[in-house]
Amino acid sequence: MSDTELRAETQDIVVDEVLPHAPEKIWQALTSGELIGRWLMAPTGFAPVQGNRFTYQTTPAGKWDGVIHCEVLEAIPNERLVYAWKGGHESNVGYGAPLDTVVTFTLTRVENGTRLRLVHSGFVLPTNETAYRNMGEGWKKCVPKIGAIAGEQVSKKLH
Amino acid sequence: MIETAAINAVMRTLADPTRRAVYERIVGCDEITVAELTRGSGVTQGAISQHLKSLKLAGLVAERPEGRHVFYRAEPEGLAPLVDWMGHYAVFWRDRFANLKTLLKEIDP
Repeated sequence: MSDTELRAETQDIVVDEVLPHAPEKIWQALTSGELIGRWLMAPTGFAPVQGNRFTYQTTPAGKWDGVIHCEVLEAIPNERLVYAWKGGHESNVGYGAPLDTVVTFTLTRVENGTRLRLVHSGFVLPTNETAYRNMGEGWKKCVPKIGAIAGEQVSKKLH
Repeated sequence: MIETAAINAVMRTLADPTRRAVYERIVGCDEITVAELTRGSGVTQGAISQHLKSLKLAGLVAERPEGRHVFYRAEPEGLAPLVDWMGHYAVFWRDRFANLKTLLKEIDP
């Protein structure tokens, strides 16, 4: 499969906000192990250095132990932090399915602070579609409809 | 975070093709009775009742008794544990951004 094809089949999550703080402060929150633990999850073995490997422990599912394996791909102080975010197990569908993604934080100084853009990229949709197909054709038609309704409820359920 | 037990329960419940078919029929209409579900299903009413019991336990359907009948309807929230990675992280990052803003206020008032 070529890169182009691969890209065409993946989707990203983007959160983009202007925060009333200097890039240096936000960089600190993104790269200090202790601070990361206070807003995201406590990382194990993190250092903002290219090639550094670290993990996050999340909720296990089926044969997957819940460990997210990360590797710093790029770390430009106060500007850009990129790390690989991998986990899951092929025996799972939905939550806990194989996950091979990249998380990118981009910081841009603006008049009132910093624009922080998070892109979590590489969600492969065919995996989900296969899962739906395995669960039955009718199910596949129902899920998007129900998913929309469920989506509104998810935030309450997850935390 | 999503409870693994809930995910397993939903997955296990929907892994059975007959039960999944029952669930899909319930999803396809507002409300339905056991008798209506049994009609044309090729299985007995007792079997349908058993499937409904499992679906209820997994939080996928809800029931509403009315007179001599019990009406079943789909419970969309029951599918929440099955939401895929993307749905999971869409919620996850939104929430974590909120945490980050709170933290920044603390360390940089």
